[in-house]
Amino acid sequence: MSADATTPCLTSTSAATRVTRIVRSDHVAAAALVALRGMGRTQLRAILDQWPSPPEALRAVRRGDAARFLAERSPRPVAHVETWPERLDAHGAARHLAQRDTRVVLRSDPEFPFEPELDECPAVLFAEGVRPDALDRPRVAIVGTRAATPHGLADARDLAFSLAGLGITIVSGLAIGIDAAAHEGALAAPGGTTIGVVATGLDVVYPRRHGPLTEAVRQHGLVMSEHWFGTAPERHRFPVRNRIIAALADVVVVVEATARGGALNTADWAIRYHRDVLVPPGSRRNPAAEGTNRLLRDGATPLLEPGDVLQALSFSSGYSRGGGAPWKGAPSWSTVRAPRPSDLAGEILAAFAGDPATIDQLASRTGRPLAEVTRAAAELEALGHVTRRRGFLWPN
Amino acid sequence: MLASVASALLCGIDGQLVTVEVHVSGGIPSYTVVGLPDAAVRESRERIRAALLSSQLPWPMKRITVNLAPSGVKKSGAGLDLPTAVGLLLAIDELPAGCLDGVGVVGEVGLDGTIRGVPGVLAIVEALRDAGVGIVVVPLANAIEAELVSGVTVRPARTVGELRGCLKGEDTWPAIPEVVAGTGWSGGVGGVGGVGDLDADGDGADLSDVRGLPMARRALEIAAAGGHHLLMAGPPGIGKTMLARRLHTILPPLEPQEALEVTRIHSAAGRRIGGGLARRRPFEAPHHSATAPALIGGGSGRLRPGAVTLAHRGVLFLDELGEFPPIALEALREPLEQGEVSIFRSAASMVFPAAFTLVACTNPCPCGRGAISCRCSDQARARYARRLSQPLLDRFDLRLALTPPASGDPPGEPSHVVRERVVEAVARQRARYRDRPWQRNAQIPSGIVVRELPVSPEGADALRLIGSQGRVSARGLMAIRRVAQTLADLDGRAALSIDDLLLAAELRVDVI
Repeated sequence: MSADATTPCLTSTSAATRVTRIVRSDHVAAAALVALRGMGRTQLRAILDQWPSPPEALRAVRRGDAARFLAERSPRPVAHVETWPERLDAHGAARHLAQRDTRVVLRSDPEFPFEPELDECPAVLFAEGVRPDALDRPRVAIVGTRAATPHGLADARDLAFSLAGLGITIVSGLAIGIDAAAHEGALAAPGGTTIGVVATGLDVVYPRRHGPLTEAVRQHGLVMSEHWFGTAPERHRFPVRNRIIAALADVVVVVEATARGGALNTADWAIRYHRDVLVPPGSRRNPAAEGTNRLLRDGATPLLEPGDVLQALSFSSGYSRGGGAPWKGAPSWSTVRAPRPSDLAGEILAAFAGDPATIDQLASRTGRPLAEVTRAAAELEALGHVTRRRGFLWPN
Repeated sequence: MLASVASALLCGIDGQLVTVEVHVSGGIPSYTVVGLPDAAVRESRERIRAALLSSQLPWPMKRITVNLAPSGVKKSGAGLDLPTAVGLLLAIDELPAGCLDGVGVVGEVGLDGTIRGVPGVLAIVEALRDAGVGIVVVPLANAIEAELVSGVTVRPARTVGELRGCLKGEDTWPAIPEVVAGTGWSGGVGGVGGVGDLDADGDGADLSDVRGLPMARRALEIAAAGGHHLLMAGPPGIGKTMLARRLHTILPPLEPQEALEVTRIHSAAGRRIGGGLARRRPFEAPHHSATAPALIGGGSGRLRPGAVTLAHRGVLFLDELGEFPPIALEALREPLEQGEVSIFRSAASMVFPAAFTLVACTNPCPCGRGAISCRCSDQARARYARRLSQPLLDRFDLRLALTPPASGDPPGEPSHVVRERVVEAVARQRARYRDRPWQRNAQIPSGIVVRELPVSPEGADALRLIGSQGRVSARGLMAIRRVAQTLADLDGRAALSIDDLLLAAELRVDVI
């Protein structure tokens, strides 16, 4: 317990780059506060707002002043608050940060990535990854449902790919479905960067199968969280995490959302934070487009092509970040255009009307014999116009 | 004082010879059965005693010993009642000596002296014939079935009293009835809703009841003609079961040898006792609560054939495939591959025939909607798909995602038109595979499909293209060739065309 916030700065050595970085004492103090058991985001903000600097807040916690202050502030007892004075471990926090080469950003720092006056603004953010410059670019969040359709996944991937290729950072939540597709699209673009905001500690991978994806995001961007290491995934943390995604973004794109999904929650935060919300329209028959279509009805901007995102971005405050508009020309949805099919295959392709179909349905809609439809389907698949999934043909 | 009568019991689906020896001697009156009898055999004493007394025949107040040889084999069932009864009559000189030389006897007796039919008479009479028996006495209810065995004279018996008269030469043997359908001892038909009735001409279902869905009908036709296993995935209530049940209406008729096999199995299973030759292919539809022994056969004590054997030469229909216990489904792999199933128990092992066409239905995902309307998460879908193992899915040459027909779709061809094509395609395969160990395209082993079913250079290109798209495995390409050959057979062409290959490839997609 000798480590006081006045302890001289600790150093961190990144093995990969051999660059020694200084961990600031106020960052260590703030991290030590976040690490306290029972310290919620509201208590943290209250304490850091009450005392002029994190080291002084740390001393207040050690003296027990902070506990008294919280008790006066709200009648609701704070769990484990009595253990805080002896649990406070600035040294341990500093060691953790140094070991993992984790950056800390305080709400009071000039480099804090968004407006500190936002509602529910996190007091402290942790970031890991090799591209801190990901924050210095215009930022577009691409979020959506975990139960996405192949079309939704392809849209998220294509959009992320073309925007990331223009030097825009793609922000998402490292979840299954649309989130993962957005990160993957950004990672596939040359020079693309992406930020994954997680609802756990930065040392926890959730979902487990996203280990490789999380690592790739770390290698080509940033992984961010407001939680201390070891924080497990819990249901209530995800909606709260969404506010950071919305706050980080200059524009929020919701690719597919079910009627009651978490993606709509991100859109709510975006509206609260005055971020433009863009939504590609979907079929009314697609349950994964129910939420997004409602957003459209409620006034979200329809997203018909990637250029719509650029236009929204140019009205946002992020437009000038990183030295003005870095993009030239209008990006397109798909980088590869499939070759023109034969007349017969073209007729069959039109019969899809954009939705997945079976051979039976195509034969019924065109009145063509089975042999012609299967021949056309084989041609369309070979040319890349359709993909097969779960027994259906999906137009690309 | 000693008599011996030849008889046989059912063991699995085969007959097992049993010699019934009856010894009557002085001493304290008693009745003892030795030779590993089970409860039903031990109870025969009461049936036989009442039957003899009801027929105004004497029951000797002496020491009676019945031995069932071979003594080491467990005996079960009531089929030994009649041989025991006539043996007893012989032993007490109520029947002339020598009247049962070269005669086999089988049957159950009732308390009033009537003789009741027993299961598995076809197999039992075959076993007796193979043992050199020239005349068999069977219950009248089993007479038609027993007559199916060549090289043996069938004597039907109605009651114990009448049988005694016939054996003594005082009465004439009753005539064997001409009726085929519906005769029998327990109603005798299994299956569901008449579809499994081996005698009926049909239950009125017809393929023309199905509107549209040309691909689905084609898949059924291919399954019927080539014997390919078919998996259909689709939302609930879409007509998967309706389609599957109509497969029956386009199956080719049973060959004489096949009909005999089917009759033998269904009689042995007690499904159909005393009818003539089976006329329709079996259609077995076990519920998804079926256990592995129920599907492949087994049971403790006497081994019994399971659903795969009852579906021999016909269709095994598994609705809601994913709901079956995984152990039961994995047990299907051997019969699917080999056309028979070996069952091993510590007491005995047995091989049952099981050459069937598997037709299975499943929902595409837990929510059942499939494709674009599906509300399932990736994990939920993956978990659902994991219920069906890849090795099992690989056995399905035909997989099909079903969608509902559109309202304007025309009704399709009636069953009899399709069936004619199927019959011709089957004849073509039979002629082609005369000197091969298989009869249908689906049975060609994967290893020699390439040699057996050559394709043109253009066809080879098409197969290469299909393979290069990465969704069809090498095993899948073999399946595509087999299905394409069936398509050519249905069309009456010798060689398979590119269109055949493309259509076959279209039916080899992953549906879940």
